[in-house]
Amino acid sequence: MSKFNRNKALENLTGYLFISPWLFIFFTFILFSLGYALYLSFTRYNLLSPAQWWGLEGYKRVLTDSLFLDKALPNTFKYVLIVVPLQTVISLVLAFAMDQKLRLRRLFRTVFYLPSVTSSVVISLIFVWLFAAQGIFNQLLGLTVNWLNNVKTAFYIIMGMNIFTTSGTLMLIFLSGLQDIPESVYEAARIDGADSLQIFWYITIPMLRPIIFFVVTVGMIGCFQVFDQIYVMTSGGPLDSTTTITYLIYKWAFRDTTVKMGQASALAVILTLIILVVTLIQRRLIEGSGVSNQ
Amino acid sequence: MKSLFKLTSFLFVAALLLTACGGATPTPATPPTPQTIIQTQVQTQVVEVPRQQVTVRLSGWASSPSETALLESLLYKFSVENPDILVKYEPITGDYRQAMLTAIAAGTEPDVFYVDIAYFQEFAKNGVLLPLDDLMASTGTTKDMFIPSLMNAFTYDGKVYGIPKDFNTLGLFYNKGLFDAAGLAYPTDAWTWTDLQNAAKALTNLSDANKPVYGFCDPADAGRFPVFVLQNGGTIMNADFSDTTLDSEQAIGAAQFYTDFRKNKIGAIPADVGEGWQGTVFGKGQCAMVYEGGWLIPYLTSSFPGVQYGVSRLPAGPGGKGNMIFTVSWSISKNTKVADAAWKVVEFLTNEASQTTVLESGFALPTRVSLQTSDYLKNNANSAAIFNGAYDNAVPFFWGPAGSDVNDQMGKALERIYLENQPVADSMAQAAAEIRKAIAQLK
Amino acid sequence: MATASQLLPENTFRNRFLLAWERIKTPVFYFLLFFWAILCLAPLYFTLVFSLKPVANAYTPPIWFPIPFTLDNFRTVLQSFDLFPRWILNSMIISLSVTLLRVLFCSMAGYAFARIEFRGKKFLFNALLISMMMPGIVTLIPKFLVIGPGFIKGGLHIGSLVLPTGFNLIDKLGGVVLPSFVDAFGVFMMTQYYKSFPKELEEAAIIDGTNRWGIFFRIVLPISQTQLLTLGLLTFQGEWNNFMLPLLILRSPQNFTLPIGLQWFRGEYYTLYSTVLAGSLFNTLPILILFFLFQRYFIQSIATTGSKEG
Repeated sequence: MSKFNRNKALENLTGYLFISPWLFIFFTFILFSLGYALYLSFTRYNLLSPAQWWGLEGYKRVLTDSLFLDKALPNTFKYVLIVVPLQTVISLVLAFAMDQKLRLRRLFRTVFYLPSVTSSVVISLIFVWLFAAQGIFNQLLGLTVNWLNNVKTAFYIIMGMNIFTTSGTLMLIFLSGLQDIPESVYEAARIDGADSLQIFWYITIPMLRPIIFFVVTVGMIGCFQVFDQIYVMTSGGPLDSTTTITYLIYKWAFRDTTVKMGQASALAVILTLIILVVTLIQRRLIEGSGVSNQ
Repeated sequence: MKSLFKLTSFLFVAALLLTACGGATPTPATPPTPQTIIQTQVQTQVVEVPRQQVTVRLSGWASSPSETALLESLLYKFSVENPDILVKYEPITGDYRQAMLTAIAAGTEPDVFYVDIAYFQEFAKNGVLLPLDDLMASTGTTKDMFIPSLMNAFTYDGKVYGIPKDFNTLGLFYNKGLFDAAGLAYPTDAWTWTDLQNAAKALTNLSDANKPVYGFCDPADAGRFPVFVLQNGGTIMNADFSDTTLDSEQAIGAAQFYTDFRKNKIGAIPADVGEGWQGTVFGKGQCAMVYEGGWLIPYLTSSFPGVQYGVSRLPAGPGGKGNMIFTVSWSISKNTKVADAAWKVVEFLTNEASQTTVLESGFALPTRVSLQTSDYLKNNANSAAIFNGAYDNAVPFFWGPAGSDVNDQMGKALERIYLENQPVADSMAQAAAEIRKAIAQLK
Repeated sequence: MATASQLLPENTFRNRFLLAWERIKTPVFYFLLFFWAILCLAPLYFTLVFSLKPVANAYTPPIWFPIPFTLDNFRTVLQSFDLFPRWILNSMIISLSVTLLRVLFCSMAGYAFARIEFRGKKFLFNALLISMMMPGIVTLIPKFLVIGPGFIKGGLHIGSLVLPTGFNLIDKLGGVVLPSFVDAFGVFMMTQYYKSFPKELEEAAIIDGTNRWGIFFRIVLPISQTQLLTLGLLTFQGEWNNFMLPLLILRSPQNFTLPIGLQWFRGEYYTLYSTVLAGSLFNTLPILILFFLFQRYFIQSIATTGSKEG
């Protein structure tokens, strides 16, 4: 074997060895779970008796279900379109502010991280208590709105809560990325006469592009799958105004008296496809153009 | 750099070791540790543990630390009397139904577990539960030892699939202080809808600008509304649960009466006074009367100890009396390998002695007929009122295979009436239509 | 070569805006940071205040100070269960194991995806991304099957051999660690970080003849401290608060993790918020302490860790 081929083979082997732990988990858990869920989507399954083959009936039922079409689907998209940009921008701004070498950075960092550190179940409980009609929030502002019981406001409270909790985590991620950009690059730019706006737009953002892609992708996947808060706080109500696709999956799988696991799996597959398509579009927008600094 | 590599590899090895060593598998040879509960002494007894022990896995949802302690004390007593049976208690502190469904689907369900009336039929129909008739005969346990409506609730296709462990009904909780202030006589078991309405009117007049008081709470709750339908001579579903009767005259009439409390401003939903549950509203004295179950009693004792209240049986409507039963059974898995031992456990937990202990703790009501005349109930009129609700044309809180949809639609119908001012008849008709759609989907 | 007139900034709107920005940017940033800090502190501050108030005062004013003051809620939490310290220990074991393993394996995989060219890389990376998109609810049961009894009941029979199809780790802490010791999110994050690393250092080492393992462990890993710590912190926090799958896997009360044990306070019919709030503080405290301890590693910027400017 020529030296080139030997090196190539070695590269291949090394690569696979490096990813072997992930590959192991991927094959034993992920692949099997995805395959199982895919299989179930073509069955009628109530978890208590064996699954029966149903073909596309499950998908048909999902795509004609009024709860899905009128509530879950539009609610989920509304959620993603509002929360993802907001949380990305807020966390980026916060990270940028933190990178400015202001004083008290350490303190700020701990404080910002507080909401993320609490489990989502507990934070949901705290927020339910905070936003109760006689809760602290209303007491502070002198209002008496029952935020979580109001069809118009409940969903926005959940959105706000999520933005609030994820911004700390995302800020940390952005901050690591920001700190990676070597000082020399900034200096060189300043010597060339660039001002801070140009530096931000033409240097910082492009160098952060892989991280931005990460934050937006992960943020989007997380938003499409939002569940915990709705499960704890509103159970999809009032009047289904906070029902999302994932909550609907849970309802069909574990909450309905007659379990509809096949249908739930079909909806899960549909959701995965939706997320895939949206991610592809988003990747083209962020990473597609221009070469990331390789 | 080299040191970082060393550190990383050390940590890696440490992590593996931690995982390997962590986690205890319970050893089968030791009996369960007794839990100390308030007002009970811990007894130490020397018991010979035979070499052959049968393990029975027992599971249920975890209600509260004190109730758990009660159950564990019963299990401890059992283990002393039956040293050849080890009961492993595996409480589920999260979503019980989700955990049970997963375990059943995976074939790892426990031997003995709670089954709520809401999904009992689903389990029985799908062969998840073990029929208990033969086991009952072996220990002389007969069906008529238990309250008929409860026993029937857990009978499917002529066979018994669960022993009711406790139950609850709804009672009329009334605030004695507010009644005194309004100069009204306390509710009696002979009350009717008219009495309820008049009292609510009088009690609401007690409010002033700073502290509004409502006579009655009528939340958009599918766990309360149905009693009104029953009291109006109607039903929620037909006999075999294949269709709903929510759009019947009686159901609409009941909905009208129920929602009129709030419409005429003599009643309120918890959200109106900034609460999530009418129990809190009652405790705070903002609502003079609520229909609630026995669980309100320990809640009031802990959170609102100053409230003076009483409980009476629900007033009758034009169609007579009506109530709902919330109950849970001890059932045995069809796949259990220790049926006899499991039955011993179930029988013990539901025998008269155990049920008396539970009754006297105030946590739940017993299901044995013999305890209807117990001293505790004689001395606690409030609990007695809830207990006797089972004899007031009480219907189990179960609406067939589409039960969850029925509950959802009832709640939404009431919400639409309250929040969107939809006319009552339209709302009920809409609910009925949605339920029929859901039932059709089950085919 | 710039002339004198070119060195002076022009008096355009843009430049005036930039000058003004330079002056006010510090106070603006401070304001932003303080505002957000207050937003973050508020819920936890009120949690603390009301956990120190009796159950009957769960909603009553004053809201800024715990009057009347009581330690009953904390006492209830600690005394209701003698297993409480055990739960903390279980959570610690699981979270630490998972964190250490995950940081190592995700950074390895991330480096491979970012820097090593191997056959099928693109396909596998896309598979990784897609694996994150399936909602967890429908993968609970298959995961449970693999961790425990196996997806074929009784094992796979091949001739006279019976192969187990599951790991049989139900009710063991290992059963919680196993599916989590590496995850797609972590790999994805490290991949993106390593993609944005300048290549010069590695290139020098490659020319020198060092192999990938040496490059990774001796050069790349030490430099990526901040990222590793970020991943470690996020992992620890995620595992500490992980609820759904552990609830299904861990059965005996002595094997519970802290969040599962604390759920015991959520009543069947009603929630005593004050106790729940007190319990939630117990849950948050360990992570906060850890975070605070490792704080200083986050501040180290690249400039101090070596010749990145190379």
